[in-house]
Amino acid sequence: MKRSLLAAAVILALLGGLASAQTPRRGGILRVGLNADPPNMDPHQSTAAVDRQVFQSLFDKLVDVDENLHIIPMLATSWTITNGGKTYTFKLRPNVVFHDGTPFNAEAVKYNFERMLDRTFASPRRFEVILTERVTVTDPLTVQIDLESAFSPFLAILSDRAGMMVSPTAARRLGRDFAREPVGTGPFKFVEKRPQDRVVLERFDRHWDRGAGLTDRIIFRPFTDGQARLANLRAGELDIIDQVEPTDVPDLRKDTRVKLFERDGLGWQGIWLMTQGPPFNNKALRQAVNATIDRRTLVRVVFGDTATVANGPFPTGMLGFDAASNNRIPERNLDLARARLREGGQPSGFAFTMKITPGRVEQQIGQIVQSMAGEVGIRVNLEIVEFGTLLSQLAALRYEAARLGWSGRPDPDGNIYNNFVTGAGQNRAGYSNPRFDTLLDAARILTTTEHRRRAYADALAIMNDELPYLFLYWPKEYKVMSPKVQGYVHNADGMIRLRHMWLSP
Amino acid sequence: MTHYIARRLMLTVPVLLLVTVIVFTLINMIPGDPALVFIGGEAGQDAVEALRKQMGLDRPLFVRYVIWLNRLIHGDFGKSVRDGRPVLDVLLLKLPVTVELAIVALTVAWAIAIPAGVLAAWKRQSVVDYTATTVALAGISIPNFWLGIMLIYLFAVNLRLLPPSGYIEPWIDPVRNIKLMIMPATVLGTALAALVMRLLRSSMLEVLGTEFIRTAHAKGLSDRIVIARHALKNAMIPVATVMGLQLGGLLGGAVITEQIFAVPGIGRLAVESIFTRDYPMVQGVVLFSAVAIVFVNFSVDVVYSFLDPRIRLVEDKT
Repeated sequence: MKRSLLAAAVILALLGGLASAQTPRRGGILRVGLNADPPNMDPHQSTAAVDRQVFQSLFDKLVDVDENLHIIPMLATSWTITNGGKTYTFKLRPNVVFHDGTPFNAEAVKYNFERMLDRTFASPRRFEVILTERVTVTDPLTVQIDLESAFSPFLAILSDRAGMMVSPTAARRLGRDFAREPVGTGPFKFVEKRPQDRVVLERFDRHWDRGAGLTDRIIFRPFTDGQARLANLRAGELDIIDQVEPTDVPDLRKDTRVKLFERDGLGWQGIWLMTQGPPFNNKALRQAVNATIDRRTLVRVVFGDTATVANGPFPTGMLGFDAASNNRIPERNLDLARARLREGGQPSGFAFTMKITPGRVEQQIGQIVQSMAGEVGIRVNLEIVEFGTLLSQLAALRYEAARLGWSGRPDPDGNIYNNFVTGAGQNRAGYSNPRFDTLLDAARILTTTEHRRRAYADALAIMNDELPYLFLYWPKEYKVMSPKVQGYVHNADGMIRLRHMWLSP
Repeated sequence: MTHYIARRLMLTVPVLLLVTVIVFTLINMIPGDPALVFIGGEAGQDAVEALRKQMGLDRPLFVRYVIWLNRLIHGDFGKSVRDGRPVLDVLLLKLPVTVELAIVALTVAWAIAIPAGVLAAWKRQSVVDYTATTVALAGISIPNFWLGIMLIYLFAVNLRLLPPSGYIEPWIDPVRNIKLMIMPATVLGTALAALVMRLLRSSMLEVLGTEFIRTAHAKGLSDRIVIARHALKNAMIPVATVMGLQLGGLLGGAVITEQIFAVPGIGRLAVESIFTRDYPMVQGVVLFSAVAIVFVNFSVDVVYSFLDPRIRLVEDKT
């Protein structure tokens, strides 16, 4: 009897302890180490991925995505899609104010869309919401958006920068200078930004979600050097860091002084082949190069298990992932490579130049591809080009092959459409196939998951035969934190949502 | 003297003008479209074109140069294409950081180099000389980034004596400011010290071999006095030039060191601006660095003429 009482007491004490450990605590300063200096604080002007890390706390979006990439409410509490997928009607959250006191309502949403669509403002978001035909304020808390045509990825797009609502008062007053004094509705408001030094945010007491904004302040600091970033975390100068070098991961897994978060990401990486000029306007030669690559070995050597071997644009967990063609990793086949070389009119091999950006990982990938292709007489010349220059050369289709990937979007459309459809902004291969285009257009209109999945599977089958891009791997998504950081949910989009995070004593 | 200074000052004007031409042309010759880099290729071609127009990139290079120069003369360095901040504001924000780092680094460098150089020359071909020379060689040979990372791991991660990197203004937290400066200043200082030490050693050897030093010794002066009062002063003349150049170089930003220690100075600004093709900012930074070097050189020349009156006299006669 005594023993059971004691056991009960112990259990109760443990439960009590657990409960108190789980109760969010307010206060403190959360220090976040980013991998680059966020250049622009206006979500409608921003182009750098790192900006989005700060935006998660500064701005609310119309909708958000959860860890399974499902769309969840944020500033819009509910929505209906009617008119064959062309009309989106959003019910907005009441009693929401911007940091400058401006009320958030349907008029504000309308203004935000007009701002993104304004030609003279040249917003990088314009292209994302270009299908918007009309924004109608039905009542203060209802807004209706009519699209030119059905567009299934629309909600996913609104879960990112295009869905972030800026204060119309501040945006009108500041114009492009809004980037220097951003005003949103998020649980943290802007205090200051010192270029290459820090971005400071402070809790916004009038935020609609009483459970959000637990720490008093957030300080973001940029560390471009991965080693320096990690050293700062280990020395207790930072609480969270974004991204680690693949070589640091095995140690971090064993390190009990830090918490490592690891999961599959959304991006894809591989090699662009320029299909509008020699040598890769010859499909057989593209297939020949592909057949020489042993993806499994490449990934194991360069990344260990910090990346997943890939053969398509849809990483695990994303709609479209289980398409058979995407899952099947082609085995290395030198006989096939030789056959394709003969078919392509180059039986004894050929030479091409592959552009890579500076860095150890890039160089390793380049050299591995070079030696693998070399075995059938394909000579790969590696040319190291600075990132900005590479972008320009790719946009102008002035290259033969290039190592560059895509950071990924929550909806599969964002991982394929603009990258491979004829004439699309990110189609670096100059690739064009009318049937492929039709399938991807169909996937945008189709509303059921199953139908979309099938369209993507068919499109992938075409791509895996024509090979405008050699998919190699999907990088995993890493965050490292001090043990006192609580409440983190690791989302595949890699965004650190700090609003419900807190520091234990 | 005034005549000399005025003439030297006049000479800097064409130099600076030439600098603006070089800065502008070279930066515009960097491959890569700034509009495309800015917009990231996410938008369509029409958006890129619109942005190019907005950034004034559709105009001919010469026209852009004249517009830029005209604004420059009126004190307008332009605005950052990243977030519209005035370039001058950002430069002024970074300047105190860089100046502080430069001063501390040079202090470290000279504190090491001057005694080491003098000792090495005085005790030539002794253990002291060999040690100083080896350390100096190591200082030149060890790459900044490696030494930086090693220092961070030793003093910040393992011993936890110093914060690993970052910056805080001295008026907010003076103690922490000094702690943060120690490692980057050491990394920069040891590399700079090596050069000064080597130069001072050979310059000292030369001076120590001259007749007036022999006379001083003959007068019965002690080694200490001969070195401190006579030899060092004369040996410092060529060293002063190098020190000036070092200061000028540091004011242009210590790119790698600032990067590793996350010091938000001119060097980091330069790197970030180049990678993002922030032309107005890069032009501002490079121009500033060039002006700093021209100005420091000018000051060194003036100091030089005080140290060695022959220079002034020769110049005045011509």
